[in-house]
Amino acid sequence: MADIRDRYDALVIGGGIAGMQAALDLGEQGFEVLLVERTPSIGGVMVGLNKVFPTLDCSSCICTPRMAESAHHPRIRLQTYTEVRRVDAVGTGFRVELDCKPRYLDEEACIGCDECELACPIEVPHEFDDGLGARRAIYIPHGNAIPQKAVLDVEHCIFCGKCERVCPTNCLDFTAQSRTVHVDVGAVIVATGFDILPMGAKPEYGGRLPNVMSPMAMERIQSSNGPYGRVLRPADGKIPRSIAYIQCAGSRDRSIGVPYCSRVCCMYALKQALLLRHYIHDVDVTLYYMDIRAFGKGYEQFYRRAVAEGVKVVKGKVARVTEAENFDLLLRVELLDEGGRVDEHRYDLVVLSQGLIPAWHADGIIDIEEDADGFVHTPEIKLNPSFTTMPGVFVGGVAAGPKDIPDAIVEAGEAAMAAANYLKRFRWRSRTPAAAVAV
Amino acid sequence: MFDATDSAASGSTPGVQAPRVGVFVCHCGGNISDVVDVKRVAEEAARMPDVVFTTTHMFHCSDPGQALIEQKIREHALTRVVVAACSPTLHQITFRRAVERAGLNQYLFEHVNIREHVSWVIEDKEAATAKASRLVRAAVNRARLLVPLDKRRIPIHPAALVIGGGVAGLMAARDLGDRGMKVTLIENRPFLGGRMAQLWNVFPTNEEARPLLSNLVRDVVKHPLITILTGAHVVNSEGVVGDFKTKIKIDARGVDERLTYPGNAIAACPEETISEFDFALSRRKAIYMPYPGCFPPIPAIDWHTCTKCGKCVAAVGGKGINLDAKSRELTLHSGVIILATGYDPYEPLLGEYGYGIFPKVITLQQLHRMLDPEGPTAGALPFDSNTPVRIGFLHCVGARQIDGVNAPQPDGKVKDYCARTCCTAAMHAAVALRERFPKSHITSFYQDMRTYGRGHEEYYEQASQQGVLFVRYSPWHPPRVDKDRTGKWPVVVRTNDLLTDGLPIEVPLDLLVLATGVVPHDISELVTMYSCAVGYDSFLLEVHPKLRPVELAVSGVFLAGCCQGPMDITEACSAASAAASKAAAMISQGQVEMDPFIASVDEEVCTGCQTCLTVCPYDAIVRDEARGLAIVSEALCTGCGTCAAACPSSAIQQAGFNDRQVRAEIDVLLGV
Ligand SMILES: Cc1cc2nc3c(=O)[nH]c(=O)nc-3n(C[C@H](O)[C@H](O)[C@H](O)COP(=O)(O)OP(=O)(O)OC[C@H]3O[C@@H](n4cnc5c(N)ncnc54)[C@H](O)[C@@H]3O)c2cc1C
Ligand code: SF4
Ligand code: SF4
Ligand code: SF4
Repeated sequence: MADIRDRYDALVIGGGIAGMQAALDLGEQGFEVLLVERTPSIGGVMVGLNKVFPTLDCSSCICTPRMAESAHHPRIRLQTYTEVRRVDAVGTGFRVELDCKPRYLDEEACIGCDECELACPIEVPHEFDDGLGARRAIYIPHGNAIPQKAVLDVEHCIFCGKCERVCPTNCLDFTAQSRTVHVDVGAVIVATGFDILPMGAKPEYGGRLPNVMSPMAMERIQSSNGPYGRVLRPADGKIPRSIAYIQCAGSRDRSIGVPYCSRVCCMYALKQALLLRHYIHDVDVTLYYMDIRAFGKGYEQFYRRAVAEGVKVVKGKVARVTEAENFDLLLRVELLDEGGRVDEHRYDLVVLSQGLIPAWHADGIIDIEEDADGFVHTPEIKLNPSFTTMPGVFVGGVAAGPKDIPDAIVEAGEAAMAAANYLKRFRWRSRTPAAAVAV
Repeated sequence: MFDATDSAASGSTPGVQAPRVGVFVCHCGGNISDVVDVKRVAEEAARMPDVVFTTTHMFHCSDPGQALIEQKIREHALTRVVVAACSPTLHQITFRRAVERAGLNQYLFEHVNIREHVSWVIEDKEAATAKASRLVRAAVNRARLLVPLDKRRIPIHPAALVIGGGVAGLMAARDLGDRGMKVTLIENRPFLGGRMAQLWNVFPTNEEARPLLSNLVRDVVKHPLITILTGAHVVNSEGVVGDFKTKIKIDARGVDERLTYPGNAIAACPEETISEFDFALSRRKAIYMPYPGCFPPIPAIDWHTCTKCGKCVAAVGGKGINLDAKSRELTLHSGVIILATGYDPYEPLLGEYGYGIFPKVITLQQLHRMLDPEGPTAGALPFDSNTPVRIGFLHCVGARQIDGVNAPQPDGKVKDYCARTCCTAAMHAAVALRERFPKSHITSFYQDMRTYGRGHEEYYEQASQQGVLFVRYSPWHPPRVDKDRTGKWPVVVRTNDLLTDGLPIEVPLDLLVLATGVVPHDISELVTMYSCAVGYDSFLLEVHPKLRPVELAVSGVFLAGCCQGPMDITEACSAASAAASKAAAMISQGQVEMDPFIASVDEEVCTGCQTCLTVCPYDAIVRDEARGLAIVSEALCTGCGTCAAACPSSAIQQAGFNDRQVRAEIDVLLGV
């Protein structure tokens, strides 16, 4: 891959589905795009999901082509494992400072053979599997990662040198340094996405107990390329026969600073629950909810289907989750549709439908404002929902508030259109005149 | 067994390399391999003639999976590639590109669907594997006969047609105009602005709707690249992506800019009808303007109501009004089309929740008109601010309906989808009413409170804090709206409140507001003209609900806003800009690439029988009178193959699907 040039039309921050879509839209319109992702692979959250509601399409099957398209696009330059350190307005454009983190190997030379990973003696919980499976201190992020290049995690490496000895291209470099790169761009799109609220955010839900799971862990467990290859509970490897979902676990709750609805958790919980009904014969799956927010296209129908296929939904306020013997869980709930009667149930597994929080803050990096909830502020939310408080900086996807994949994709397209018009208005030109804007 | 000896395959055709077939079978991460023995499929394919390499991979669509294909093409000098995986709608392009990157013509590739067609529909592993194997072997036999083809490149006429002048259409037009592209925006009604113009105030910013809209309209109107036509209807459409020829009819407006004092003309008009803009809450004249500040800022004449009495003309001294104006027709050329035809509020059936029977049962849209200071009641409700009025909001009217519980609509179906915007809209209105009538009692009858968006939940919270009562009803037992037996109240709502253990309750009300759903605006003619796909919910159906939400399956036609499904203004604007972005990409590339699978006539063989002319659904074949032959128009042919199948003398062959290729495939499928 050619090195980063010093000038592009647009910088897209974040290589999730929204960032990729924004980059592709701009690329297709003839603009030169620098797509910066802070982790070692693009794909964002979506590439780790199992199937997507409401179509139950396999998520990686529809995400990986977008990843490949972004990687192969003639006008998109991918820059993974890189942080955006600072973006300053200069005229109508921006001066960007990037911090390219070292993979401790020659990225050009690495052929992704995975020999180093097999040789490495150190095992670390794998973030791609929400900490459930293991990876080595040197690893390829996952089977669908782009680029397929190893990365050495210097925090855990003991410098035993085993990887270096097996590498067929001899590409390891333990002395590599991070690199600072400066780039000029005409417009910026923020598509930095989200994290799931930490599991301990509401201690009464037992987020730290081994059989209380995050929804991301459940996605991974259900995935055919997941850590177990089947649905088992983490504490003892038993097949769970009864599973409870706690909805709005850390959303719509001012007490923990997440007053908003996270918008996707009703649907992902229904999706996971329905799939559990397919994966485990006769499993008892119950969602305890405040409101089922199945508002998108085809979602209400999906909700009805899940219920028809045996997913139980109960309007209830969960008071607490505690551990019983054998790692089972006791869930105490106020049944709102039964006049507030308090009930206690035993479950093999509990999933907390945790809310979505911003993965990144502009603080000290770009001078755009954020709302009290931490998501990027969009002052013209009605007609120009991708505008931020800084002209030339646009936002798309979950970075502008929780949303599902189609909504993130639509918004990314909008951000790209807004950026294109901004570039057009100020006649920004990146260096390659031949490939520059056609219209 | 099949005939493996047919040998154009052996490379005798000039420029066609001898077949060396590579077969790649995908696990699809278990989606396929859990049911199909992919290794056995590969092994059986390996025994086919000309197959020189076979393998399997966890995810062939992934980058490493694609890289493997490229590598093996080079390593084994493959000249034909077969990939057995998911549906070609997903990944055919992915693999064609991989094949091309390895230096092969992309049409030397054959895609076999062993997921949707096999592993997802067959449980028995043996049967599934047998079917997958046979499909793959058939594809191999066909692939042996493939020849390189070139993509068709169609130049794009650098202009866009936007159909619909609501907020989404306006936004799409503005974006394309700003991007430097020529746009024509056509609107059915005599005025721009669509449904947003009828709203009084919008969530989540509590802004007045029309000033917001007027700014956008102003940008569009003064834009040098945008032409606006109101009262315009599509009557016919021809052509395909790159060059759509759309014939439109423009209604006679009867009024032009020379009319300087429209008020005088309107006042003089003796004919009245109900105002559709005010949802029948007021009446308007035959010559009318729906609201102050509308665009165009001149009245229009409603010819159904006008009697041509001439009083308006007399009142303005004859200037600017022409009662004999005629409609006109014109044809627009555009490379792309954006559909932004919007929605209609659900109109409750007569008697549904008392609608149309009790005057104090109104829709949320009507409430908006009443709250509008420029509306029919000048913003006043029929109560004074000190009376303790009782107001109810009933959610999910014409939405989330259940077959067998709710009465079917005229089309025989129920509205089973959630209308997405009404929960927040109802809460936004409830909060506003509480502020305006501090002594009011407001009850919300709901199923689930779907205030999902940014800044939406706040209305729900505020409403709760302000004492709005929430009654949760079951969709299986919708509330009943009756008259009050004591005669004290205009209406009574009876239901069972799930939140209090299903206790039956009776809530007497002064006003019941129905939070009605959203149905697509009727565009059945456009649907037929552009062969658009429509979902069960009657909204336009995007190509891929996840990944390509603003594109229709018809190349060059894009979707913006509520014609696709319920959305709020923010979401409609996003969709419009996203659609504009795709359209801009197409136009800025100057051409579209199309598959080369078109029909061609072998002039030596054609007998001029004209069978093909009668079967072609796209009128793509004409008769060359002089020579007595059929000729295919490349621009119009979609490659449907109907003519090739119908031609009695086999004079028509379709590129990529010629008789020999298709027969080779069928032979293996039938095991002959
Ligand atoms: C358990 C679960 C299940 C779900 N299931 C579905 C489903 O079935 N269907 C559906 O439609 N939606 C589903 N969703 C929602 C879906 O995941 C999101 O809508 C989608 O992933 C949002 O994409 P995004 O690009 O906005 O964010 P992300 O996927 O978070 O992508 C953001 C990217 O930006 C990168 N980044 C962040 N900060 C920086 C920085 N400073 N510099 C560079 N890069 C940065 C991140 O590393 C990441 O790669 C689900 C969500 C969850 C939690
Ligand atoms: S040097 Fe580090 S990364 Fe390499 S094998 Fe040893 S521990 Fe693993
Ligand atoms: S989407 Fe559902 S679970 Fe998630 S916060 Fe909203 S209401 Fe709660
Ligand atoms: S948004 Fe609310 S009122 Fe509207 S259909 Fe959906 S649940 Fe019912």
